Amino acid sequence: MKIDLKTNIKAIIARSYVRIVAANREPSWWFTETLLPILSTAAYVYVYKALNAPEEYTGFVILGGTMSAYWIHVLWSMAAQFYWEKEIGNLELYMIAPISRMSILLGMASGGMFLATTRAVFIFLVGSLIFKVDFAIISLPKLFAVFVLTLVGLYGLGMLFSSLFMLYGREAWHGVTLLQEPVHLMSGFFFPVRNLGFAVALGASLIPMTLGLDAMRQLAFKTGAKSGFISADVEIAALVGLCVLFLVVSKYALEYMEKLGKKEGRLTLRWQ
Amino acid sequence: MTNILKRAKENLRTIRTAGKLGWAMESNWTDPFLFAIYSIVRPLASSLILVVMYYVVTRGKTGMDLFAYIYVGNAFFMYVINVLFGVSWVIHEDRDHYQMIRYIYISPIRMYYYLFGRGIAKMVLTTVAVIITMAFGMLVLKIPVNLLAINYPLLLFSVAAGIFIITCLGILLAGVSMVTAHHSYALTEGMAGLFYLACGAIYPIDILPVWLQYLSKALPLTYWLELVRRSILGKSLSPTLSGYSDFQLILIMAATTLILALFSHWVYRSIEYIARKYGKIDQLTSY
Amino acid sequence: MNLAVETFDLNRTFKLKKAKNKGENGNNNGKLIALENANIKIHQGELFGLLGPNGAGKTTLIKILATLLLPTSGTGLVDGIDVVKYPEKVRKKINMVSGGEHCGYGILTVRETLWMFSQFYGIATKVAHRRIDELLKILKMEEFAKTKIGKLSTGLRQKLNFMRGFVCDPKIMFLDEPTLGLDVQIARDVRIYIRTWMKENPERTVLLTTHYMAEADELCDRVAIIDKGRVLVCDSPQNLKKSLAGEAVFYIEIPLSVNGMEKFGQIPGVKQFAYEHKSHLGRTELKFILEEESAISNVTESLSGNGSKIISLSKMEPSLEDVFVALVGRGLKNEN
Repeated sequence: MKIDLKTNIKAIIARSYVRIVAANREPSWWFTETLLPILSTAAYVYVYKALNAPEEYTGFVILGGTMSAYWIHVLWSMAAQFYWEKEIGNLELYMIAPISRMSILLGMASGGMFLATTRAVFIFLVGSLIFKVDFAIISLPKLFAVFVLTLVGLYGLGMLFSSLFMLYGREAWHGVTLLQEPVHLMSGFFFPVRNLGFAVALGASLIPMTLGLDAMRQLAFKTGAKSGFISADVEIAALVGLCVLFLVVSKYALEYMEKLGKKEGRLTLRWQ
Repeated sequence: MTNILKRAKENLRTIRTAGKLGWAMESNWTDPFLFAIYSIVRPLASSLILVVMYYVVTRGKTGMDLFAYIYVGNAFFMYVINVLFGVSWVIHEDRDHYQMIRYIYISPIRMYYYLFGRGIAKMVLTTVAVIITMAFGMLVLKIPVNLLAINYPLLLFSVAAGIFIITCLGILLAGVSMVTAHHSYALTEGMAGLFYLACGAIYPIDILPVWLQYLSKALPLTYWLELVRRSILGKSLSPTLSGYSDFQLILIMAATTLILALFSHWVYRSIEYIARKYGKIDQLTSY
Repeated sequence: MNLAVETFDLNRTFKLKKAKNKGENGNNNGKLIALENANIKIHQGELFGLLGPNGAGKTTLIKILATLLLPTSGTGLVDGIDVVKYPEKVRKKINMVSGGEHCGYGILTVRETLWMFSQFYGIATKVAHRRIDELLKILKMEEFAKTKIGKLSTGLRQKLNFMRGFVCDPKIMFLDEPTLGLDVQIARDVRIYIRTWMKENPERTVLLTTHYMAEADELCDRVAIIDKGRVLVCDSPQNLKKSLAGEAVFYIEIPLSVNGMEKFGQIPGVKQFAYEHKSHLGRTELKFILEEESAISNVTESLSGNGSKIISLSKMEPSLEDVFVALVGRGLKNEN
């Protein structure tokens, strides 16, 4: 079927508008999304300080905390969002609209990315300044490419989760809760992933954040390459593959789950 | 006297009913096996992050006192994250999700007991998670804990006191949630982050800058964690806190808890008034 | 004449975890039959009503036609397009409003919410705002344009949901109990708007479900009566009422009497019988559809014999509700 690009772009803008404008309408948002998230990241920095760890580990944690803003956002505001939309009665209205479900998700993602970026930038800047992080950027274009690819892959994964969680009630909620900490562990948010051993790190590489973080550490810190999992160039290539994989799979998963939901009558089932 | 008894009975009934409701919400989404896995995986993952961080730096010397200090503190800090969330998230969940807050709010129950009751399920689950995490630490990571040497009365007292302190904090955040939107989960998460940073959960507070140590000393959770660690490990690693006896720590914890309880009550009541004034009790805020 | 909606033997069953009810539309195989061989034809430009009690299958039918639910078997066409095969094409033609439901995000204003939904249908922002202004004016919501929807009253939120459906100007509109729970004035505004909207463009079609018989009588060109998943009859309200012309409809009030009502249905000459208890008035209202007027004497005798004092007795012109009673054998209010 021919895709009405104009309508879908309008849908993306409209859905992202909700996130950007509405969240900023709540003054408390600035407090909860900027000042507070730096605190738990700082706690991990102090663990390394208590252990007399090498200085670059502070930078590793700040980078992990920065990227954690996106992971948390993908989990709570992407993966679980269709479940929320179903609960508040909006999902069925999206389903009957003549737009791709991907547009709704892209709208959520782009709007939410703005919010997550605010949080991430704050953690990055304040963390780097307070803890005097010493960056030694090897290649800025590569670093930027890794960052963008990581986000695309991560939000692709979020879209995939969205489709899976669309049909579920509280399972979705708990699924999200369950993923948060283990992924923080497996993706090496606060330490180089190589330390988990090759097999575990390889398995964890299915999550774009694992390779993204590792590559960014290699490209942004003096000793980063020494503690890297595999070379940054290979990681970039793998990230490209993951981006394509997740975006394509999420599209089909979304269609499949929608069909399943319509078949089983669970698309509009609420308050489970 | 009869009135007091009657009221106590009513409050107990509220706690029981809210507890059952909380348990239903926590547990009825899946089969018991999956639920058990879910209850174990998360806390273990959170502890393993610190374990790996420790291994990365020390190359596996887990026998050190600091490792046990970090591990025990982190295990018990789960109470802060879960119970805080369990109590404060009720407002958002009942308001935006189930849209039942208006009916609960107008019923003749006392909200504090309701909120506490709703948090009970989290308390039970967290206790299980803490036991599993500790067992994992002792059996797999060889944390030096002598089960016979644990000061059980102090441990039980500390856990009960900790739950009370966290409930007070939860009520404070529940009050704030009445006037904030969908993102109030970030508030709870952020506050837990603040306590994680300042209360010496995973390092002695002495490592913190002096100005932050003032905050640490003002928070009852700092003394609670110290008491828990002393009851299990039998010693303290914090030069600042090791100067206090157990009894002195209990007294300081009691005093700071009293101030916290009064502050929470004041915040909750004030914000509740504002919420009623501006019609926010049953507002829908999702975005 | 072009058909806006057409269904062929549409069926929908739901699997139940535990089959508690073994009623007529439920069975002990753990399945609930929500729709059974539903065949309807709605012409373009028609305001078509689907009448039936709660659980009759009205919402199931609307959900299937609105591409939210797949039928178990059968075919549904909307503007000639198969809802199962080409849902994307169908969605360009339709919109849906469910009564008693809200839409949007509490933190957006009324205007922003309507604009957001208009964008999902590709409407230019300028056009959208013009339509929003019109709708706000017609539905008397102008003063709330900048109010966050989280602060609206329940009725106003429903009104907003109603506007949300119309801001996209669909060709075919599904209105599922649009006046459910609305106060008299707002419900009246809504009904007036539906009629006005239909008149503006002869291509517009509305499928309205309701269990308010008077609403259907007032609004609809044709109605189908549906019960327990089956479409029982389909015609204009006038013709349906005419079908009872040979019969006599009587309302009788007796003192509140809870037990033994069913036996009045057995009185000779009684074709159908329904009742409603009005506890607050201390009365029970009986409705008799008689094969012929003279059978009323059998009724009064039977009531006297039963010791029931007749408080009032009146002969009525047949209404759609009487048609429903005649077809189903019970009123909407004594569904069990």
